[in-house]
Amino acid sequence: MSKPKVATDWMAGCAGCHMSLLDIDERILQVLELVDLRASPITDLKEADETGVDVGVLEGGINNTANEHQAKLMRSRCKYLVALGDCAVFGGVPAMRNFFTIEETLRRAYIETESTVDGFIPTDPELGVPTRVRAVQEVVPVDLHVPGCPPSADVIFHVLAELAQGRIPELKDENLHWH
Amino acid sequence: MYKLKINGNEIEVPEGTTVLKAATLAGVEIPTLCDHPALEPYGGCRLCLVEIEGARTLQPACTLPVSNNMVIKTQTEKVKSARKFVLSMIFSERNHFCPYCQVSGSDCELQNAAYDEGMTHWPIQPNWQPYQMDASHPYFVLEHNRCILCRRCVRACAELVGNFTLGMEERGANTILVADLGVPLGSSSCISCGVCVQICPTGALIDRWSAYRGQEKDVNKTKTICIGCSIGCGIEVLHRDNNLIKINGDWDAEINGGVLCDVGRFIPLDEKRNRVVTPMVRKDGTLKAATWEEALSVVIDNFKPLVDKKDDEVAAIASTRLPADVLYYFKQIFSEKFDSGMITSTEEDRFTGALSEFSDKRGPFESKLSDLHDADTIMTIGLDLTKDHQVAGFFIKRLIPKGLQVIPVSYEAGGMDAFTSHSTVINQGKDLAFIQALDGAVLGDNIDALAEKTGLSSQEILELAKLLNTSEKLVFVYGTDFETKQKKETIQALLNLAEKVNAKLISPKGKANSLVAEQLRLNKSFKLNGHKAAYVALGDEEPSQTLIKKLEEIPFLAVQASFQSALTAKADVVLPVTTWLEQDGYYVTCDGQVQLAHKSLQAPVDVKSNKEVVLAIADLLKIILNPVWDKAIKLEKSVVEIG
Repeated sequence: MSKPKVATDWMAGCAGCHMSLLDIDERILQVLELVDLRASPITDLKEADETGVDVGVLEGGINNTANEHQAKLMRSRCKYLVALGDCAVFGGVPAMRNFFTIEETLRRAYIETESTVDGFIPTDPELGVPTRVRAVQEVVPVDLHVPGCPPSADVIFHVLAELAQGRIPELKDENLHWH
Repeated sequence: MYKLKINGNEIEVPEGTTVLKAATLAGVEIPTLCDHPALEPYGGCRLCLVEIEGARTLQPACTLPVSNNMVIKTQTEKVKSARKFVLSMIFSERNHFCPYCQVSGSDCELQNAAYDEGMTHWPIQPNWQPYQMDASHPYFVLEHNRCILCRRCVRACAELVGNFTLGMEERGANTILVADLGVPLGSSSCISCGVCVQICPTGALIDRWSAYRGQEKDVNKTKTICIGCSIGCGIEVLHRDNNLIKINGDWDAEINGGVLCDVGRFIPLDEKRNRVVTPMVRKDGTLKAATWEEALSVVIDNFKPLVDKKDDEVAAIASTRLPADVLYYFKQIFSEKFDSGMITSTEEDRFTGALSEFSDKRGPFESKLSDLHDADTIMTIGLDLTKDHQVAGFFIKRLIPKGLQVIPVSYEAGGMDAFTSHSTVINQGKDLAFIQALDGAVLGDNIDALAEKTGLSSQEILELAKLLNTSEKLVFVYGTDFETKQKKETIQALLNLAEKVNAKLISPKGKANSLVAEQLRLNKSFKLNGHKAAYVALGDEEPSQTLIKKLEEIPFLAVQASFQSALTAKADVVLPVTTWLEQDGYYVTCDGQVQLAHKSLQAPVDVKSNKEVVLAIADLLKIILNPVWDKAIKLEKSVVEIG
């Protein structure tokens, strides 16, 4: 039996959840003995296999059409989707932007910042279009939410270890509580 | 008694018990948010929904009274699913972001409830409507985004404090907490007692001083007594690494039941004074650091020659914030060894004036503060309970909606006026005339002449008299700070009136050990006249301008104080002592209850406790002290039963 395939991606996040994943330190060797890490933002391949993976992990919320595309892509290519970290689960820090209109935020970022001279809001059609910042579950169905900012390395190891052994991880007590 | 079954277990509870209370008695936990043991049940949050056999829908346990043979189930799938749903709805209403909230981690009851249900996310998304933050209040912040509309603060402001500042405005999703008719808290009728802050289950009301400095799981808690005044409220001091973090009211304390005023809760955290950290001795005109040995020997060198002097050469004054035993040792040293006639307390009898003359004759005649809780009419005179002894004021204000009649008598409009229709403003210093007029009116005499002196109409006084005559549980809360030379006569008249109308008498007196100082007869007016040396046992009290001025010319001044002040600056010897937080001590409340205050913080290295200092002085003067302060304070008859 081949090892379960795992792919990760990040969207409107700070990469902190991936850093916390790396904080499992030498335990990554144990994990990689059990799973086949196919793609992630910090390895060579960036997108999950077209043929599909078993577990998809998404960090970060969705703040533009490009993120929407990433989330839908991952959802379509994985059997079990994990939302990793507060941004993916709740919207997180980027969601502060939701209390302002998109016009206000674009103007502030591209024109009004103190060091900007002759600023303009980019309109290139290839750029993702900003949207309200959303939790992953608002765009695609999520199978497991792992809250935390970031979730501690121990929590992430627990989740990966359980999934690697074919079990659904249960998050409670120290694995769930805010630290 | 009713028999019921909770989760299969049978128990018996009295009629009228709510399902929630019955569950607690049976050892079954039902999650709640809007409920609080100190408040009347509200049934607003719906988190306590449980299954009642035979009921069509789930029922709120906090408000539902049990019925005989009721069968209650608290852990069914339906109940668990309802709890998750209620929490989902609450999360969706506002913006509950945990990552940067001061209470996230252990202090948020909403977060804890969600964790207890194993919730890992928001099943229902918020609508991203931004809510305001009101940071106008000097002591705390109101963050509407975190409010769950449980109304605990509104109910506490009404039921526990009786100030009725907080309320809810608008409906549905627009429901919002407001102060008065919608003004910033900082400009409202809020009296800064902070009971709302303590009772808030989330981070909606945040105390500025303790924010981010330590949560329940990080801090040490010491139960002790507030030394802010003579009521002696029970408090919990939260401290961490020897830093004062927060002061909470102790919900289990009998005297105050958890409520506190700003004097007890916030003022101690607003400490701007500098500590005296080392003994100091004046050399060549300036104060210089010295060892304890040196400083104490200078004190002894200056005081010892004055022992057994014929004329009064030594004056001594002690703060009523000092523990009872320290005051007794102080008295023994200066009153007995030095035979000084000029030994007194910093209150100088202002708040207990003349009271001992009455207790001498007739023994204890005052009642307990708790008698305020069952009164039907209360008259206050000679004090303002909205300024000092505020918690006594809370006891009174909060009963007004239940029908309590309150007659606040004062020289000008005061804080109680907004709550009662019997506000009585009399001419300055005319308390005696007023009491005599009331006395006469109670008997049906003509009181026109007396009424005129007070500035009130005879009709007004007649109506008050009628009120006194028709009340069954009458209480007079009085102070002795009358602006008249006829203090004794005024109190006598009040006592006579109380007897006539069968009224209980309560006087809050002054600071923490006001009654002890009075019982030790440390009650003279402080006047210097050719005195050679003065000893001021100041403790952590702030010396008044008049005291500093009186001590201007004294040849030798020794001060034991916690903080630097204009007084320590002109002293010849300064002895650093502990603050109220750094020492144990006995305090006797205004109504005679003896309480032990426990220290919570460790004083700086070179600082000694107030007790250690007076014991050291007694030792050097070869005085053998009698330690039995509790007998000493009962030697003279007190106005109220002690112990």
